[in-house]
Amino acid sequence: MGLVESGKIPKPLTKLLNMSRRYSMWVYQWGLACCAIEMGAAFASPRYDVMRLGVIPLPASPRQADFLVVSGTVTDKMAPAVRRLWEQMPDPKYVISMGSCANCGGPYWDSYSVTKGVDQIIPVDVYVPGCPPRPEALLEGIVLLQERIMNEDMAERWKGDPIVVE
Amino acid sequence: MVTTESEQMAYIAAQAADARVNVEVETDEGMTLNLGPQHPATHGTLRIVAKLDGEKVVAAEPIMGYMHRGYEKLTEVRTYPQVTTLVNRIDWLGSFANEVPFILAAEQLMEVEAPPRAQWIRTVLFELSRIANISLFLGDMAVQVGATTPVFYAFRDREFVLNQIERVTGGRFHPNFDRIGGLKDDLPKGWIEETGTVIGKMRDFCDEMEELVLGNEIFQARTRGIGVIPPEVALSYGLSGANLRGSGVDWDIRRDANVGLVYDEVDWKVWTHPDGDSFSRFWVRLQETREACNIIEQLLGGIPAGPIMAKVPRIIKVPAGEAYVATENPLGEMGFYVVSQGDLTPFRVKIRSASFSNMSITPWLLKGVFVPDIISILASLYFILGDIDR
Amino acid sequence: MAEIPEHLLKRAQAAREKAAAQKKTEGEDSAQSEKAEPAEEPEVEVVLTDENAEAALAILETALQGKILDSHIAPGRGLWIRVAIEDWRSAAKAAKESLDCKFFDWLSAIDWMPSPYGREHETEQDKITAEPEEHDEKEMEWGYTGGETRFQLICRVYSISRKIGVMIKADLPDSDPRALSLIPIYAGANWHEREAREMFGLTFDEHPDLRNIYLPGDFEGHPLRKDYPLLSRRMKPWPGIVDVELLPGDDE
Ligand code: SF4
Repeated sequence: MGLVESGKIPKPLTKLLNMSRRYSMWVYQWGLACCAIEMGAAFASPRYDVMRLGVIPLPASPRQADFLVVSGTVTDKMAPAVRRLWEQMPDPKYVISMGSCANCGGPYWDSYSVTKGVDQIIPVDVYVPGCPPRPEALLEGIVLLQERIMNEDMAERWKGDPIVVE
Repeated sequence: MVTTESEQMAYIAAQAADARVNVEVETDEGMTLNLGPQHPATHGTLRIVAKLDGEKVVAAEPIMGYMHRGYEKLTEVRTYPQVTTLVNRIDWLGSFANEVPFILAAEQLMEVEAPPRAQWIRTVLFELSRIANISLFLGDMAVQVGATTPVFYAFRDREFVLNQIERVTGGRFHPNFDRIGGLKDDLPKGWIEETGTVIGKMRDFCDEMEELVLGNEIFQARTRGIGVIPPEVALSYGLSGANLRGSGVDWDIRRDANVGLVYDEVDWKVWTHPDGDSFSRFWVRLQETREACNIIEQLLGGIPAGPIMAKVPRIIKVPAGEAYVATENPLGEMGFYVVSQGDLTPFRVKIRSASFSNMSITPWLLKGVFVPDIISILASLYFILGDIDR
Repeated sequence: MAEIPEHLLKRAQAAREKAAAQKKTEGEDSAQSEKAEPAEEPEVEVVLTDENAEAALAILETALQGKILDSHIAPGRGLWIRVAIEDWRSAAKAAKESLDCKFFDWLSAIDWMPSPYGREHETEQDKITAEPEEHDEKEMEWGYTGGETRFQLICRVYSISRKIGVMIKADLPDSDPRALSLIPIYAGANWHEREAREMFGLTFDEHPDLRNIYLPGDFEGHPLRKDYPLLSRRMKPWPGIVDVELLPGDDE
């Protein structure tokens, strides 16, 4: 993919690449709290069946994943581990924050041990509100992410300055 | 020797906490294996640091707190009706069951009693959340010992129960439906018949699980005689629920110390198993799910008419006093010790959650087992992280 | 008066039938059953449990020989006793041996100091200030069985054979809040004591490892003490009561 690295991809090629990326997304689910069960229902239950959207759940490690679903409360003790896992994912990587807790602290907005929003530690692409969001809501979040990927300008994204990880 | 060992464990734990990554440290005395905090076998964010000698566990220590959300402090700054929103989320698989003991404790202090219809509906919903909770355990336990299929059945059939809960309360998960003095709303029309059908489906689900899992040779080999807890030990560690009954202690709060729910009105049985191993805990839970179906079916037939709310003041101030109410939640005994000083908010709430006590036995229990058994023992103890860390 | 056309009559009849059928289904939903009526008077039960608790208290009194400082029986709700901190372990032992309280329920503490921040949930009190707000100097009020100092240990043990739960309380000295660990009697006290240490800053002697159980190692303070502020509440004003849900039967 020399073209990608040099940032000179013609538009049609970008489109083609995006289309293929869009429908083969490996998700590393970060099940933390109650929301994890709804995520489990979306990913593992026959009723919601996430695979029809081209999402493949349960990779063995974050190093194989394209996007991460942070579902549930991130506590201050957990935050470094979240950051660490996110760092291990290969670029291009995306994050869906699922549930009020991951979005902003939710019912624990005044707690002494909860991180108020996972976007304080990692960048988030799609926020799914709800406490917990229904599995359908998570599926819609995934569709939104796919649209985002589809419209992404790869040349822009790969201009050469890598995402800096402190 | 004991001091050095505990010192070493403390050292390793501190090291691991600092690195905050999965570490596997190899020393002359053996290997230290870290499971978690994100590990598929630990149901969320529990972390286990085990010191190994070959395949044998010399010492194991769960490290918790990755899900500590500070409930007890937060209840002190929430009004009584607001607290139920919070406590819903402790045991997130059977949320409705969490509200009940708190509401009952507040009702005791206010000396109000919910009208009979509300009590019956409470009991029905309580048992429904038990089914919603334990059905997932039945599937998950099989996953932990290597069979993936049952969990799909569990997720599929659990949806039926969630649907019923949703139809009454408006929430699949966190209903926040219980009020001091009664319930928020009455049952929707036609709900009783539908629930009857769902109960039939859940019965089939239990049979299916029994056929799929219980007779399986691999399942038996991995659970029989593994993680045996004698009754005295179980009692002194405060184990409750199916873990206690799986050790042969015939004790069920629903039957023996029932407060505010209508279990006396129905004909049901407390299941125990004398073995105390992982298998017996699974077996007891399976039977309990069936029994819950029985209870619901009997209750549905006779829900009395009448109001669903007692007369309570608009602004709820709970008179000074202390009360402890425990109920037999899906995971075990869950109790709320509420101290009130006559304010809008509780003065102090101590939450006695089942998983915390159930897990406190793990350092004792995991000593001397083999590595693969860690997984099946943990799965059979059945904990929910929110219930441990609160 | 003109005759009513037949088709209208039919329609009215059909509507009436439909309403009746609906009523019937509704009636089924809330069918009154004979079983619903509680058979016995609830008061009988209260008296029974009361006796149970009194008998238990009598047994504990003989076993502890005057060490019980105070006791309280809430009919049907349980038994509270308070002992001096020196007798903390012996009280638990007596409960286990004489009352057969083998089941260790929980252990925790209570900080009886009134919160210096007032009742933080009230909208007008949520000002953005770093300083603790002005408040009336409130006296400490203790709950059942009274108390003398700020921190009180409380533990609940249960006797399955007698079906009675006992809450044991003990006051901790203000200067040096420490107590003997209950681990030799109830192995399960281990984690509960770690939790109490972390949340209240108490010390338990003879406890094998009093490490933090919940909070990360660099956490400062003891969150369940009343003077521990919830900083987020001070930084961000509470939006106040936005919508008040009506109680069922409340028309307005
Ligand atoms: S957003 Fe709600 S359901 Fe999700 S983890 Fe937080 S409290 Fe639980």
